[in-house]
Amino acid sequence: MADNNTSKTKKWTRRAFIATGGLVGVGLIVGIGGNVYLSKNAYKYSGKGFGDGNSLNAWVRIAPDNTITVAVPRAEMGQGVYTSIPMMIAEELEVSMDDIKIYAPQPEPAYANALLLVPEPKKEYSSLTFMQKVAHFLPLVATGGSTAISDGYNYMRAAGATAREMLIEAAAAKWGVDKSKCYAENAHIINKDSKEKLTYGELAEAASKVKLAKMPLLKEKKDWKILGKPVARLDIPEKVTGKAEFGLDVRQKDMLYAVIRHATYHGGTITGINNQADIEAKRGVKKVLILPKGIGAVVVADNTWRAKNAALALDLEETGDATLSSAKIDAQAEEVIANKIIATPLQKGNAAKVLDGGEGIIEAKYDVPYLAHACMEPINCTVLVDGDKADVWCGHQGSSIMLDGVNAGAGIAKENITVHTKYLGGGFGRRAEVDMVLNAAHVAKEMNGTPIQLVYTREEAMRHEMYRPAVKSHFRAKLDGSGGIEAWENKMALQSVGYSSVMRIKPEFAEPPEKDGSSSEGAANLPYEMKNALVAFGQLELPIQVGNWRSVGSSQNAFFTESFMDECAHAAGQDPYKYRRNLLKNHPRFVAVLDKVAEMSKWNTPLGENRFRGIAIHESFRSIVAQVVEITKVEDKKFSIDKYYNVIDCGRVINPDTVEAQMQSGIMYGLTAALYGEITFDEGEVEQYNFPQYEIVRMNVAPQVEVHIMDTDTHPGGVGEPATPPAAPALANAIFAATGDRVRALPLQKHGYSFV
Amino acid sequence: MELKINGKSYTVNTEESMPLLWVIRDELNMTGTKYGCGVSSCGACSVMIDGVATRTCTLPVSAAVGKEITTIEGLNPNGELTAVQKAWIQHQVPQCGYCQSGMIVAAEALLNENANPTDEDINNSITNICRCGTYNRIRAAIHTAAELRALETELIKKVMGE
Repeated sequence: MADNNTSKTKKWTRRAFIATGGLVGVGLIVGIGGNVYLSKNAYKYSGKGFGDGNSLNAWVRIAPDNTITVAVPRAEMGQGVYTSIPMMIAEELEVSMDDIKIYAPQPEPAYANALLLVPEPKKEYSSLTFMQKVAHFLPLVATGGSTAISDGYNYMRAAGATAREMLIEAAAAKWGVDKSKCYAENAHIINKDSKEKLTYGELAEAASKVKLAKMPLLKEKKDWKILGKPVARLDIPEKVTGKAEFGLDVRQKDMLYAVIRHATYHGGTITGINNQADIEAKRGVKKVLILPKGIGAVVVADNTWRAKNAALALDLEETGDATLSSAKIDAQAEEVIANKIIATPLQKGNAAKVLDGGEGIIEAKYDVPYLAHACMEPINCTVLVDGDKADVWCGHQGSSIMLDGVNAGAGIAKENITVHTKYLGGGFGRRAEVDMVLNAAHVAKEMNGTPIQLVYTREEAMRHEMYRPAVKSHFRAKLDGSGGIEAWENKMALQSVGYSSVMRIKPEFAEPPEKDGSSSEGAANLPYEMKNALVAFGQLELPIQVGNWRSVGSSQNAFFTESFMDECAHAAGQDPYKYRRNLLKNHPRFVAVLDKVAEMSKWNTPLGENRFRGIAIHESFRSIVAQVVEITKVEDKKFSIDKYYNVIDCGRVINPDTVEAQMQSGIMYGLTAALYGEITFDEGEVEQYNFPQYEIVRMNVAPQVEVHIMDTDTHPGGVGEPATPPAAPALANAIFAATGDRVRALPLQKHGYSFV
Repeated sequence: MELKINGKSYTVNTEESMPLLWVIRDELNMTGTKYGCGVSSCGACSVMIDGVATRTCTLPVSAAVGKEITTIEGLNPNGELTAVQKAWIQHQVPQCGYCQSGMIVAAEALLNENANPTDEDINNSITNICRCGTYNRIRAAIHTAAELRALETELIKKVMGE
């Protein structure tokens, strides 16, 4: 039987992969099919910077010396995409991973990530939907939402397959035999009869002119040689020798360093500098300027440290709200939940009727604070503006966003901008923002002819962020006689991440907060059986910017719903695992994941003295993750977090070692938020400014993580984010098991808990 | 001021108070050593000074004059990876990789002092931050590196003995 995803490939279009004859290298436009302008342009690419050789399509270029260069238009931020994308192409191209060099291409239409706009992944050969065409036309070339594999799984494999078939046809023509007499193996085309061999390098030029009459089928899963097996990451060798170049490591001739000082108050402005001449006279300082709209001041100098000291010494005139405080934000959130609900994403039956004035109602009020991304690499961007041309170097989640930022910040036409995507020292959503590019471009324009590297010091990066919003979630529930959920109500107050972030990146695409699905993701789409349910939210009006933070809405909603689900289990007098299982019985994938984690953790076997466990399950980014955490009570309110058992169903797996790494990573990220993470405001300012105030889980606290990956034969889901949401509720549920204390507000440390 | 970094001498003309990190990164353009926090909290800026893992983002350059400074670039001068680097690849430790220069320096320093560290030793001595949370693999890689170092030592002894 043919591969699930390829069995219905009778209908195909040529637009993605069939090269137009004779065009090699720069200026190559591939795939003209259909007659709509959007379609014609959907697969444009220039091959700029792709290296020597012949392009077989937008993804594969082969040089005469057999160097095979693969375009990887997604950002490497630790999730392993510089390996997993080449794996998909290499599998079909019949080359080994050792043969491959990778290249980060320009943000061109061929490389669009349509899954960021459309929930359905692209098919390998069928035509694009309207919104998919829009993603290509913009183009939106970005990495986020755990989409890289889900988006590219079909068409990236197809890129390898078509290149392979073009090489086969070129070899067949050279030998004067039918192409059925030729096959591809280990970067050679082999003649079955004569046993002659030609290298891909020898065939590439002829192959680049081949027009395929029909599209090849993709390999069946059982024939995979590379996919589904642990593959060593291509980026790791240079990450152990210090050679890997991150954005902050960019060094250009005569480059200067610029350090930003944001307006102190969120939403405030800088109106003047009282000591500009003194600052400009300091050693190494070249220029002092105020950014457009007074959002910040910048000192340009010949060394980051000199620029930083000078920026700190600026005596600024500022306006802004110096009264903003966490207490005020809290009060507004209570008011929003009580009186200003703007959206009801889930309404089933009539929960209010059951709950209002009913008996035995379970009520609980949860809340979580603002969170910083705190990427290890402080935020930065390097730009050279030279007359009407520009270059931008950045570790950024969106190469097309880099282009937009330089275009808007320096007024340079997009066709005159060259994008250089570097490694990201952590992304987590923060590096999908445009601010660092916009600000660097503005400074570079002022410094025309000189490359400048704009750096946000750790303090600036932490105090002027696009935070995970603070969120309140008020629950009411009523159980039936057997513990089932008769009615479930969850009213929330928050700032819309979708609205806030899209207004910064592509305001023409911004939808109002009431239409933001991310606010209620993981709260309004629960798989649990409920007779009546209502999930609603309202919007806080604040000058604080909020943004996509690893797992977005699920980062808070899993904590709320999976903790409250535990409260329901407790109220029903039932085991938390069995209680969930019963409510999930119509969802076999959830049951399988839950059963597996219970089996791995020996849930039904009691732990020893002073040892406790908690459980949580959550679906996000097209994958389901269940976790059991085991903790040891060291003394009152002091715990050791010993181990997480983690089961994921992410459909078909590309690189299992990367999946394991992302589960470990997602848990640690969620744990930092659960234990310590809290950004608070007082007198208009953020109170935390560096790691001593914003602690991160370190080696001494980090639990062991044991991972199991379900063997499921469906389209791949995401893995970068889904392990983060369950980490906090699993732990809070374990703390409840240990102490009887139901922690409903994170972080745990503010309730006096400590961890060793 | 004269600095000796990775066996080479450099003359620098900066403020004495400039932290060594910024001399290495911005004056000498060796970028393997990273800026993470600027307050000696995260350890991304760690280098070896006379064999001791040292956070350089708060260390005045004048304090490093006359000492042997080894950065991540100088750990394997002959191109042969160290046992720690090999173990890091074997366990596929780095994710984003930004903190790993500092982690590797810290691990080398730990193993120089303690050839066979326990998990508790590792917990106590590796205090650097990894935001990607690669701690499980770092722990495993340090144990592997300890074994690799022991094998290398044994091999050298054998060869010398013969």
